[in-house]
Amino acid sequence: MNALTGTARSARLALRRERGIAPWWIILLVALALVMVSYINRNMSTPELMATYTTMINRNSFFRALGGGFVVPELGYMAAWRSGGFLYVLNGLAALMAVVRYTRADEESGRIELLRAGVLGRRAPLTAALLVAGGVGFAGGAATTIALIGIGLDPAGSIVYGAAITMAGWVFGAIAAVAAQLAQTARTARAIGLSVLGIAYILRYAGDASGQYWMKYISPIGWSHLVEPYWSDRWWLLAIPAAVTAALTAIAYRLAGRRDLGAGLIHERRGPATAPGLRGPISLSWRLHRGLLITWAAGIACFAAAAGGVSTLAYQFTEAPGVTVDNLLKAFGGSLGGGAVDFALWAIILIFAHVIALYPVLMVQRLRADEIAGRAEAVQATPMTRLRWAAGQLVVTGLGTAALLAVAGVVFGTFYAFLVGDPASDIARLLAGTLGTIPAAWLVGAVCMLAYGLVPRASVAIGWIIWIAVAVVGRAAGPLYGLWGGTPFEPFHYIPNTVAGAPFDPAPALTMVALSALLLGGGLLALRRRDFG
Amino acid sequence: MMTAPISVSGLVKTFGRTRALDGLDLTVDTGEVHGFLGPNGAGKSTTIRILLGLLCADAGTARLLGGDPWDDATRLHSRLAYVPGDVTLWPGLSGGEVIDLLLQSRGGADRARRQELIERFDLDPRVKARAYSKGNRQKVALIAALASDAELLILDEPTAGLDPLMEAVFRDVVRETRRRGDRTVLLSSHILTEVEELCDRVTIIRDGRTIDTGSLPDLRHLTRTSIQAELSASPGELSGATGELAELPGVHDLRTENGLVRFDVEADALGPALRCLASLGVRSLVSRPPTLEQVFLRHYDRAGAARAEAAR
Repeated sequence: MNALTGTARSARLALRRERGIAPWWIILLVALALVMVSYINRNMSTPELMATYTTMINRNSFFRALGGGFVVPELGYMAAWRSGGFLYVLNGLAALMAVVRYTRADEESGRIELLRAGVLGRRAPLTAALLVAGGVGFAGGAATTIALIGIGLDPAGSIVYGAAITMAGWVFGAIAAVAAQLAQTARTARAIGLSVLGIAYILRYAGDASGQYWMKYISPIGWSHLVEPYWSDRWWLLAIPAAVTAALTAIAYRLAGRRDLGAGLIHERRGPATAPGLRGPISLSWRLHRGLLITWAAGIACFAAAAGGVSTLAYQFTEAPGVTVDNLLKAFGGSLGGGAVDFALWAIILIFAHVIALYPVLMVQRLRADEIAGRAEAVQATPMTRLRWAAGQLVVTGLGTAALLAVAGVVFGTFYAFLVGDPASDIARLLAGTLGTIPAAWLVGAVCMLAYGLVPRASVAIGWIIWIAVAVVGRAAGPLYGLWGGTPFEPFHYIPNTVAGAPFDPAPALTMVALSALLLGGGLLALRRRDFG
Repeated sequence: MMTAPISVSGLVKTFGRTRALDGLDLTVDTGEVHGFLGPNGAGKSTTIRILLGLLCADAGTARLLGGDPWDDATRLHSRLAYVPGDVTLWPGLSGGEVIDLLLQSRGGADRARRQELIERFDLDPRVKARAYSKGNRQKVALIAALASDAELLILDEPTAGLDPLMEAVFRDVVRETRRRGDRTVLLSSHILTEVEELCDRVTIIRDGRTIDTGSLPDLRHLTRTSIQAELSASPGELSGATGELAELPGVHDLRTENGLVRFDVEADALGPALRCLASLGVRSLVSRPPTLEQVFLRHYDRAGAARAEAAR
């Protein structure tokens, strides 16, 4: 039997399963590309406006680096600058997930064992996964090219752009193929792939922000950026990712041909044999969810550092034309003129607060997940019955939310203070402003807890709806598109903007804390009274 | 007199339109190992989950260790240990961590006992739960329950997924527990040999109702014993003799082959039947008491019982 026997059948099976996944990735890529073009068209409708914008962006290295090393007043280039930073990463992500899905994940679940017992070669699943993931990556690039040519952008540039997007997918598909051979679990394989993707992005961003362009040459994401579609169209640079893809594929094949089914070079880490400290609901919740909190803290710290850098842009707001900035500032409770910078800082703090408000939502959802998976059942039969079990989770959630906001405030404040402001006063001022949003974030979690207690089946959906309503429609995105939130149900707008000098008023905070306590109490009571599991 | 650790009467629980429990009764006395039998979907797990205060009964009474399982859950749970039927563990925690969590939240643990059971069940406590097989997950829950000094053990199909060797270890540990005399075990199981070997009394339920309860001899009493006898009578005499036997009340399925007489007899008719056989001159006699399987099948499924009889 040939090692490739059955590849076609495997590929057909993978394609069948991809039917519900790949289209969404492709739609996402195309939509993002088109949205960015219309964004450029709307905000930079005349050559003068575009020139003003590009001058302003070129002056701010942190902002400029979101899309590349420089900007020029040319529609195609600006569109690719604005969307490329996302599209390369997203296409890489799609390919990475697809390859792991049809290789290691299927192997771990035992599905490949079932197939390999029939007529299926040792390398067939890997080949099928690479073909399908490569095809999806190509479809993402090609669809973007067609859409951009369709709205009138330069065809040659659009083809080069599509090729750069495709290659980002292929190279990460090959990276995932190697990771899937090395790791023993799909989880580890994905973690390896995502780490490479994250490091590649940071290298690319740091290279563009600092002007140390060698960093882009060692980053798989950087290779696609180096092509500079619509400007220099250096398509031949795509030979680098093509060669790397070929080399990594060869390595993956060698590994796949030698190892046993289910084996990997990286073994699942062993855990401790005992856990003397694991005795109460709080320690259980901490042990289970500390990973999530640490990941969040790291992510928030990265974004806070970047935001501290980008906030240098705030100084340039007054120079910015267009109604968008004006709307944004007004929506956040200010007007142009005195304290525009402070209003911009407050806007960034609110964005962090809105993002962090998702953390308590997810933590309450994890209670539900533990309940339906039956994991909580064994614990429920100990004196750690559901009230104590849920209360432990709520304590960790409340403190975790506060800790995340503190991380955001400290990192953002420090970066801003040293890059732009005054270290003596700005760190404390921004940290205090960030901490001031804690009661509102708690309130969001408390509503989710009430939903979990009362209507457990609908609670996950309700959690998402609440968060989206608060964060997206309520305040951050609402004002941008004229959908003014500020509804009575959006808690963050009650908080006084102390960053811009509004006097501190304890009333909203106390009201929200009391309301949270009430909702949490109601949620726990409902949980106590209903059937569990 | 001390109250029974578990006493349930007239328990009713409905889920939507399904009536999972429909007037169930169950009494478990101190110090006994009580078998809890019933086909899939009969309501065993629902009963157990009501006893653990996870579900609230719609009607009927349930008393657990002298308290109310719903209102006094936290207090009562320090005195019991539980092994769920389908053990799911947190994928990121090692087996040792889960064992310690369950033991310590019940209040302290005997480290030596914990270590002994880990060795007897041959479990590697450092492996993360996501890498355990079903049998190993089951072992984790079993060790956590058996290492505790809880006075009541509630075991819901505890050996599902264990290999025969580990099943034997489990039986040994339960027998040791029973010998101590102060611990009560409620054992829900499908493995009838296990129940026959371990249990003092058995409750059989079907469709959410208790259909039989008692000691194994009691239950057997209601089921026919099968008899196979070789008679010294000549074939001619045989047919007349067997006619006499067949007319006895309580004798069923009589058949003769090559001088062998086989029939099933109800417990009450055993005496007359044996007297009748003796009068015919018995060369050899094999008597098989009903297995629990026959008791079980008789209750569950008339057709199944008939098949089992016919197969003998």
